[in-house]
Amino acid sequence: MQILLIIIMVKLGFIDLDIPKGSNLMVYGPPLIGKSAFVRTLFNEEVSNGAGGIYVSTKDTAETLMEWFEKVGLDDFRIIDCVSKAMMEDVADTDKIKRVSIMDLTGISVRVNGFLEEYWRSGVRDILLAFDTISALLMYLNPQTVFRFLHVLASRLRAARGVGVYVVEEGMHDDKTTTTLKQLFNGVIEFKEDEEKRFFRFISSSSRTDWKEFVIEDGKVVIP
Amino acid sequence: MKIGIPVLEELLGRLPKGKTLTYYIDPEVEGDVFAMQTLYTNLEEGHRCAYVTSTMNSSSVKNRFREFGWELDDFQNFSMIDAYSGFVGSTSEERYVVKDPSNPSELDEVIRKVLRENDLVVVGALSAMIDICGEDFAGIAEGWTGVARDSGSRLVFSFVAWPYSESVLNRIKDMSNAVVTVGGVHHRVVLGYYYGILKADWVDVENVAVLFRLVRPGGVRAYIPKILVTGPFNAGKSSFVHSISNKAVSVDRLGTTVALDHGHVEYKGFSIDIFGTPGQERFDPLLKVLGREALGVILVVDSTQPKTFPRAKQMLEATTRFGLPYVIAANKQDMPGALSPEEIRKRMALPDDILIIPTVAKNGEGVYDVLEALLKLLIGGRYDEP
Ligand SMILES: Nc1nc2c(ncn2[C@@H]2O[C@H](COP(=O)(O)OP(=O)(O)OP(=O)(O)O)[C@@H](O)[C@H]2O)c(=O)[nH]1
Ligand SMILES: [Mg+2]
Repeated sequence: MQILLIIIMVKLGFIDLDIPKGSNLMVYGPPLIGKSAFVRTLFNEEVSNGAGGIYVSTKDTAETLMEWFEKVGLDDFRIIDCVSKAMMEDVADTDKIKRVSIMDLTGISVRVNGFLEEYWRSGVRDILLAFDTISALLMYLNPQTVFRFLHVLASRLRAARGVGVYVVEEGMHDDKTTTTLKQLFNGVIEFKEDEEKRFFRFISSSSRTDWKEFVIEDGKVVIP
Repeated sequence: MKIGIPVLEELLGRLPKGKTLTYYIDPEVEGDVFAMQTLYTNLEEGHRCAYVTSTMNSSSVKNRFREFGWELDDFQNFSMIDAYSGFVGSTSEERYVVKDPSNPSELDEVIRKVLRENDLVVVGALSAMIDICGEDFAGIAEGWTGVARDSGSRLVFSFVAWPYSESVLNRIKDMSNAVVTVGGVHHRVVLGYYYGILKADWVDVENVAVLFRLVRPGGVRAYIPKILVTGPFNAGKSSFVHSISNKAVSVDRLGTTVALDHGHVEYKGFSIDIFGTPGQERFDPLLKVLGREALGVILVVDSTQPKTFPRAKQMLEATTRFGLPYVIAANKQDMPGALSPEEIRKRMALPDDILIIPTVAKNGEGVYDVLEALLKLLIGGRYDEP
């Protein structure tokens, strides 16, 4: 029997990058270089173009995130807020916002799957999941625990043929942790600063782009 | 003591003294409710029950119970063991507190004490304890099963089966008197949930799988999955439903179906409702309603009638818009000129991974192969499906 390997590609619009559906990418660079802005800009772009969007936030509350996205005109997406529970007494969940403790990886996993099912059953087939950041998980939980969690999550995104982007801070984790993390993903979007200019590039086992310059305007990433 | 979960209760009877019951949960399924429901049922019965939290503070735990209509504060016989606050550096008002939840010996000491002082102890997240203390912690948890046995109390673990090492996963199963698995019905995404009994040492268990939903308020509710049998006019849908069902009804007029065929089949522990749709186009809106409810689709085609294939494909698209998995029954294989499954695949331009199974619905040949294939897609499809 002939085996056909069909890889369906998606284009990540604003960075002009073709990647296979079902990919999980690490967004990796030094603190404050603009990884979150990058991920939000990408998220805004894809979700505005019809993709289902799930944003897992370990840094900002759902309210802070909503504010940012409202400014760029996006309101129909889903949030898993891993911050509020630690800060205030319980705030109620809504259809679009679920709040879990950052320690509760099962809670995060279950909420992601709930949103995936909802999108799937309503006919949405392109999904973007943004996870900002994995580094925060690693502050509370040991690396093994986080790897197990990411293994399950990345496998689900792959099965659902969605795309996942996961922010990891450069310089915060030991080499072994960073290397293991990289192995969990299909590629890395890397960032660097050079003579006060910011650059990113994409690296996977099969390809590598040149460094591309970007600037941040109004919290959004713009490629000049 | 009651188990409090529908169907499970009939199969396992009561939870005997000294026993350990583990809910062994797929990490993508909201399975913590099982242990919560067992606890709440026994609070209502007046037993002294305790709940150990490791992943959220006690007010979050209470809210979590409240989602299902269970008010913990109403019960004098309830106590909470807070093995969370210490971890995030906040204080706790609970009667039992584990000051440093990352310290295995402190956890061990507190839980042993709680087991001696209560009729039922529910450990809300054994897996989280292992995450914090390391895989060796399974050995300490094993010790608690001994304390439960000796003190005549009962121990219930909620264990989320992350990809730990095989030896830890096996140890958890081996140390428990009963293991109930809580899993997902997967097809690209998780479409539904089921539970089954892996073992129980006080009864002979049958191999069953029960689909469930979570009802708020209410908790775990068993439900009967629906499978949709669709296909063009005269393809053999009604015959398929009748030959697979233990009992079935059709409303036919002049040999064609004018309402749903409805059948019910008990198969490998699953209790399944089968609905056959009418083949005529005027019933298409019905497809949409059913598709939203169903868990899977069987498309019946008449292998001798290639001219109906475009219509078959159209019906398939109407139902699979809901993201459901499907299997194709290449029916009327007994007739001369019947096309083979591979020939049908070519003519319908179907991808290689779609299952096409030969059947003779009239006498039941192959119909269970079709059902089996569909169930395998649903229950067997794990994370790494192609
Ligand atoms: N030879 C043969 N005849 C079959 C088979 N399955 C069904 N039939 C015959 O095909 C005709 C149609 O079968 P039904 O089961 O009523 O088909 P249906 O798809 O429900 O038809 P509609 O409801 O009218 O769309 C009947 O005369 C059946 O006896 C089969 O496997 N082999
Ligand atoms: Mg019929």
